[in-house]
This record gives sequence, C-alpha cells and structure tokens, in this order.
Amino acid sequence: MNEDITLAKWLNDEMDEAELNEFMQAPEYATYSKIKTLSAELKAPDVDLKDLYQSIDKSQSQIKKPKVRKLNSWLPRIAAVLVLALGISFYLFTTAVTTQTALAGNRDVFILPDESEVTLNAGSEASYKEWNWSDNRKLQLNGEAYFKVAKGKTFDVVTPLGTITVVGTKFNVKVRNNRLDVTCFEGKVKVTTKNGTLLLTPGKTVAFNDGKNLELPNTIANKPGWLGYETYFANESLQNVISEMERQYKVDITVVGNVPAKPFTGTIPMNNITTALDIIQPIYHLKSKKAGDKIILTAE
Amino acid sequence: MKNDSKSGICEERTFAAFFKSHAKLLRNYLFYKFGNEEQANDVAQEAFIKLWENCASVPPEKAKSFLYTVANNTTLNQIAHQKVVLEYSKNSSTPTTDKQSPEFLMEEEQFKVKLQWAIGRLTEGQRSAFLLHRIDGKKYAEIAEILEISVKAVEKRIHGALLQLRKDIDTFK
Repeated sequence: MNEDITLAKWLNDEMDEAELNEFMQAPEYATYSKIKTLSAELKAPDVDLKDLYQSIDKSQSQIKKPKVRKLNSWLPRIAAVLVLALGISFYLFTTAVTTQTALAGNRDVFILPDESEVTLNAGSEASYKEWNWSDNRKLQLNGEAYFKVAKGKTFDVVTPLGTITVVGTKFNVKVRNNRLDVTCFEGKVKVTTKNGTLLLTPGKTVAFNDGKNLELPNTIANKPGWLGYETYFANESLQNVISEMERQYKVDITVVGNVPAKPFTGTIPMNNITTALDIIQPIYHLKSKKAGDKIILTAE
Repeated sequence: MKNDSKSGICEERTFAAFFKSHAKLLRNYLFYKFGNEEQANDVAQEAFIKLWENCASVPPEKAKSFLYTVANNTTLNQIAHQKVVLEYSKNSSTPTTDKQSPEFLMEEEQFKVKLQWAIGRLTEGQRSAFLLHRIDGKKYAEIAEILEISVKAVEKRIHGALLQLRKDIDTFK
C-alpha cells in the first residue's frame, strides 16, 4: 500500500479486529468516532422531484425527435433562404398595388387602411399601395368616386386630368372622357391640373372640359346625388349623360340622326330607366326603342 | 429498473422510472459538489434533458454513466465557492454514548456545528465522496461510478476527508 487508506477502510467497517483495536487506542479515535456517527445524521436539503421532473417534461415535447447534428451546414442555407424569402415578400409587399373596380351597373364601397371610405360609382377603378399608407396616402382614380377621408396628412387622388389633394374631408371626383369634376362637401380640397391650382370650399364644384373651366354653380347638398341614384349633371354634353346612363343601367345606347348640341343641366334618376329616358327625350326630341339591353334613340 | 424495450430510454415510462431511481442521488451529489441547491437542481435537470434528447443513441445500460458524465462535465461559472449548508435529521436519536447530561448534549451540539463547518472546508472531491457515503449510504464502488474515478481513488478521498475533518475539528477546539 503506497497510500494510506486505513481511515476509509474503518469508515466502511472493513477493518479486521486487530486493526480496529489498535486504531481505537489512538488519541484521535474519539473525534473520528464522533465524525462517523454524527455525519450519518446529516441530510441534504429536500428536493421536489415531481417539480424537477415536470421541468424536464416541459422541454420534452419540443425535442421528441433526435436532433440532426448537421446544423452547421444547414443553418446558413436556411438563413439564406429565409432572408431571400423575406426580401422578396417585402419587395412584393411594398410594391403591391391594390385595385378596386366597379363594373357597369355596379358600385363598390371599400375602406382604405386609414379607415377612409371610398364609394366607387359604376364603371370606375381605383388603385393604391397598402404599404406605408398612412405616410403616403395616394390613390389613382379613373371614373367617379366619393371620398370620406379620415383625418391625417395629405390625401391625394391622382387622375389623368389632375390631382386632388385634401385634408380630412368629403368630396367627389369624376373623371369621364376629357372632363374632370370635383365637388367638395366638407373641409378643403385642392385641385391641381395642368392649368394651375384651385382651392375648393364646401359646396363648390370645379369642372374642366378639355382643360376649360366650366364655372359651375354651388351645390347645397352634403353628398353627391349619385349615392342616392339621382345624378346631377351640370352643363354636361348629351354624350356624357348617355355614357353615364350606359354605365349605371348597364345598357347600350345608340343615338341615330342629328341631335342638337346643347348641354344638359339637371338631375337624372339612375334606378328607373323609363323615367330617365322620359326626361331626356323631350329636350332633345328623341324617340326610344328598347330591345333587351339595347336602346336606340332616334331624332324625330 | 432498466427496460430493454425497442425504444429504450425514449419510452416515457422507462424514462420516468429511470428518473425516479436516479434523480435524487444525482441532485444530492451535485449539491455536495456545488454547495448550492439551485445550481444542483439546474444541473440535474439539464443532465436529464440531455439524456432525453439523446435517448435514441444512449442504450439503457449506459444511461446512468451518461447522466453523470453530463453532470460532471457541466462546469458552472460559480460565483464564489458557497458553503455547503447541511442539516441534521430532526429525529436523530443516536447519541454517541449513553451519557445524556446537559453538558454532554451541549458538547454534542457544538461538535455538530464544527462538523458542518469542517465539511464545508473540504475539497469538492473529498466532500462529494464523503457525503455520498455518509448521507446516501453509497458503497465505495458506487461512488467511484458516480465520480468516474477508481475505487482506490474514492478510498483515498475518504481517507483524506476524515484526516482533514479530524484536524479541523480538533484545532477548532
């Protein structure tokens, strides 16, 4: 025995009698004996094994399957794919254009990301980018629409004939053929065309036909008539009135013969085609013939 | 306890049984080693989680040594060496002798305090081996398995522990 392990033997009751007797004579024996007895009375602090097991159990569900250890070669690939996918979806997301369309005979109401409400009249289209809308409220319009704009920064309606800029307001924009009509019902509206900029206050309407200002009277309505199927035309050509009727009633109207070139001013119902035709016919001396969704107007 | 079913340790019943038979000893051992209950519980938990994660590649007969290897390899950024605080069983009814005079009881109480203090001063290796024997009643061979050392080394540690304890207690007088 090159190293002394007698005490270990004694503690484990492995000493033979002679060894033990000898050890008991040693002066240190009393202390050793007490250490042996009293150390057996020690105990470790209690542990809640159930709790400990639960804490293991929790992580079990996540790792039921043995782990694939080839993480090193996989992680960069997964990360690269993720980054690429994120990039593409971000690009698509930021450039994605939402388009709303109302076909002839239909209307469409939709809400913009800032809760602004847009009512599209028949045969109209509006498109906008949803991404970052609150900082870039811009909408492309072709046709006619009524806007109830939520409070916020500028709100632009871009049309082929000009841009309408507003701050928290209700207004109507109509782009048909070469004519642009903008009516303000609440707040302020700024209309920018190639001819310059105009500021509209409530009740005011501005209309440009081929770039010419038509100088229209004020309105006392608080919303456009077409919302209630009563379309008001101000100094409008017959052709435009008929086009509007075609869109609203989803019909085909043909005019035959020579028709006086006087502009029309008045209201035409858009939910009763017979009444509508009855209003137009005497003014322009027309007679109508109806076959399905085709209407022929003949000069008398 | 060991179950050689196809799924071995991966089967939850087997794992639970294995946990039941080994958790307390593992945790006690870690407590003797670190002197901190919380760290002991954390490392014990960690070792069992590792075992579960690797259950497919660890055969049941190797599970125990796997467990202790993980536990032994877990190095802690120990804040400072903490004193091992052990308690005495409340129902200790084994007086060292029959003499139970108040003076004697006083002396024994003092001795207990000194013993606790002295155990805290032992080296980590000595303390683990000594307490596994004294508290958990483990045989030297089992202690050797747990500490991943030879039986001879365990005996040396026990011997060293006793020498040190005796010296510390007697000089403390």
